[in-house]
Amino acid sequence: MNARGLRRLRLAPQAAGAAADPGPLAIADLEAFPLREPVSQRTYTAIRCRTRSGLTGWGECADVSPDELARARKIVAGQPATAYGRLRRDLAAIPGMEAAAGMALLDITGKLAKAPLYQVLGGPTRNKVRALARIEATADAVKQARDAGYRACLVPAPSPAARNQGQAYIRAVRAQMEWLRAAAQDCDFVLDGGGALTPGDAASTAAALERFRLLWLEEPCPLANLGTVRKIAAETVTPLGFGRHIHRAGQFQDLLREEIVDILRPSLARNGLAQIRRMAALAETYYVAVAPYHDGGPIATAAALHLAASLPNFYIQQIPLPAAEPDRQMRAAIAGGGVESVKDGFAALLTGPGLGITVQEAALERYKA
Amino acid sequence: MKRREFLGGAAGCGCAPALAQNALGRDAFSGAGSKIKITNLKVFGVSLTPDSDRPYVFVKLETDAGVVGWGEGTLEGKAGAVTACVNDFREFVIGSDPMQVEHHWQSMYVHSFYRAGPVMGSAISGIDQALWDIRGKVLGLPVYQLLGGPFDPRGVRGYYHAGARTREELERLRGVAVQQGVSCFKSGIPGYYEWIETHRNIDRAVKAMQLLREGLGPDIDVAIDFHAKTSPAVASILVKEVEPLNLLFVEEPCPPENVKAMARIARRSTTPIATGERLVAAYGCQALIEMGVVDILQTDINHVGGITALWKVGACAEASGISMAPHACEGPIGGIATLHVDAAMPNFLVQEICSGVEPAMKEKVWEEWLGFPAMRMVNGRFPLPAKPGLGFDLSEAALQKYPFGGTRPMARVFHGDGSVAAW
Repeated sequence: MNARGLRRLRLAPQAAGAAADPGPLAIADLEAFPLREPVSQRTYTAIRCRTRSGLTGWGECADVSPDELARARKIVAGQPATAYGRLRRDLAAIPGMEAAAGMALLDITGKLAKAPLYQVLGGPTRNKVRALARIEATADAVKQARDAGYRACLVPAPSPAARNQGQAYIRAVRAQMEWLRAAAQDCDFVLDGGGALTPGDAASTAAALERFRLLWLEEPCPLANLGTVRKIAAETVTPLGFGRHIHRAGQFQDLLREEIVDILRPSLARNGLAQIRRMAALAETYYVAVAPYHDGGPIATAAALHLAASLPNFYIQQIPLPAAEPDRQMRAAIAGGGVESVKDGFAALLTGPGLGITVQEAALERYKA
Repeated sequence: MKRREFLGGAAGCGCAPALAQNALGRDAFSGAGSKIKITNLKVFGVSLTPDSDRPYVFVKLETDAGVVGWGEGTLEGKAGAVTACVNDFREFVIGSDPMQVEHHWQSMYVHSFYRAGPVMGSAISGIDQALWDIRGKVLGLPVYQLLGGPFDPRGVRGYYHAGARTREELERLRGVAVQQGVSCFKSGIPGYYEWIETHRNIDRAVKAMQLLREGLGPDIDVAIDFHAKTSPAVASILVKEVEPLNLLFVEEPCPPENVKAMARIARRSTTPIATGERLVAAYGCQALIEMGVVDILQTDINHVGGITALWKVGACAEASGISMAPHACEGPIGGIATLHVDAAMPNFLVQEICSGVEPAMKEKVWEEWLGFPAMRMVNGRFPLPAKPGLGFDLSEAALQKYPFGGTRPMARVFHGDGSVAAW
């Protein structure tokens, strides 16, 4: 290199030895804490990531096998904790770890910046987060959700007795939704098909419920054949939500391109924040919002609240509401009681650095799966 | 309901008196935002030469925390319009929290009602970059780290423009490139093109492209910019003819408004197609991405809507396997800002800078302003800034040597019969 080149190198304020050791921000360890709720038996896994400097970040996913954890450790070891976007890609073959480790890295980045995560991500875009409870279709469950502060509930559609039920099935669905509405006038509902209906029943259900004003109809049928699913979307104005099983953004792009989806439901446990932000960017160009699917634990709820406050096209966040008090106690013991409290339909933002929660490791030990 | 109530509730007609702001307004975020407030917005027109057709439009935001942010909204030939548009956004930013960049972006875009064209897109770009600069400085991290990067810690791969025209010049350039580690060049095609072209002009263009590949050799990536001076009919012939050259891409084979027209060109050839420098927001790229027209998107951080919008275009593109090669032909602030986004995109390919292998007058001025050789590659890559924010300091005094010389139109070219040509 000539003298001029050397001079340039010296002057350019580039990261010194950028490709070399990331120093104190290098990831030193990654640990998994499998958890089980005592009554519901719902399981999820907390993930702890630590840097050499001692910063700790937390994330969460569903189940992680020892092999998956070992593979993830190999990928992140010694990498800079702030490179959450690159490590998300590198972990994409281990979807749960992509989500969990990604959250933990963002938690660390926020703590490093001494700012709530939503601020690191460009927010807040809103000052509170609309909440959705997934409940059974019973009067008790609706009352419990209302009393807990929710004003939106996701309820399962009645199980069809057989394939292609037609009129009989629609009557059953309509009856269920009518008494639900009567039981909670100030609540809105998402009807969850659980991917269990035939496309024909899904289409007639969606059409029959148009006047009921569902927030949306969720996973009415399997996403096996886009041409078939498209027919449902074409025949109804009831909004459709899909996506809890989707991991690639390109799959959402197909749904958007085919005019099938009105609200994206990417799962926090599969995708993590960085990937859902990419999916949301895509949805924005179709004037479509995201409502992340969440059936895990309280750490992911914290992450979800930050995600919601960073996105422009966010609508509602599913926040688990365990029916049993011991399960609720467990969640509060892990992440603090305030994280999942809902008032007048909304959850509050967490304003502390990173995820804004202090995970109690003693509680993780106590509720070990 | 009375009609008046309906209109009021729906915030309806254009003739309504000024709509009341939502009662929450700016105070909505008092508990959730930062304590920092933007205190001033300044916009600078900067002409490197008095007759420059592309004076830089720089935006500076000042805060009550002492932190300032710089951004760029240079729009070639429309400096006055962008300057005015930035000032139109004054009320959007003064007194508000600089950390909420997404909120401000949405507000500028959505509350402008007409959505954005290039003037508004460039104004939003300037403000957005300045907000990110502040955000990074306050949070103590370079912008590419806030975005989750870097994907490649060695820096951002770039390309220069090849000014060489003869075989000898090209071979000399190839030698310099090998020495400097530069791995890619871009050039144009000669002349202006009519709707349908003669065999002479078609052959001239093909020969010019062949010469580029031959002169630069097989180991350097070659991109060719048609600059939208060709019609789909003419471009289709050229793009197909140069398939054996294995170009990195052909850029803007026709103008960008009609996506189907560009799709027709792309469909008839295996040559990769790139476009996007004139597009605003991810919305502007939606049809191109959905229809699978292009292989590469080139949105420009000074027009697309800044860091926020360029990152989103990258995310949308990635879902369809499209690569990013952002355009940059304006000043050093946008240039540096785009490096931060490049470093945080998994589908990043290569970064443009409208410079040659040897720095010219403008690069010397940039170095004088910023204290380092901005947008000059080392071993074929732009080094990543290490400091928080965008990673540079700039004083207003440094700009004063290059006062605004007024808006000048870009080049106006005409065919032999006097009709309007594109360049």
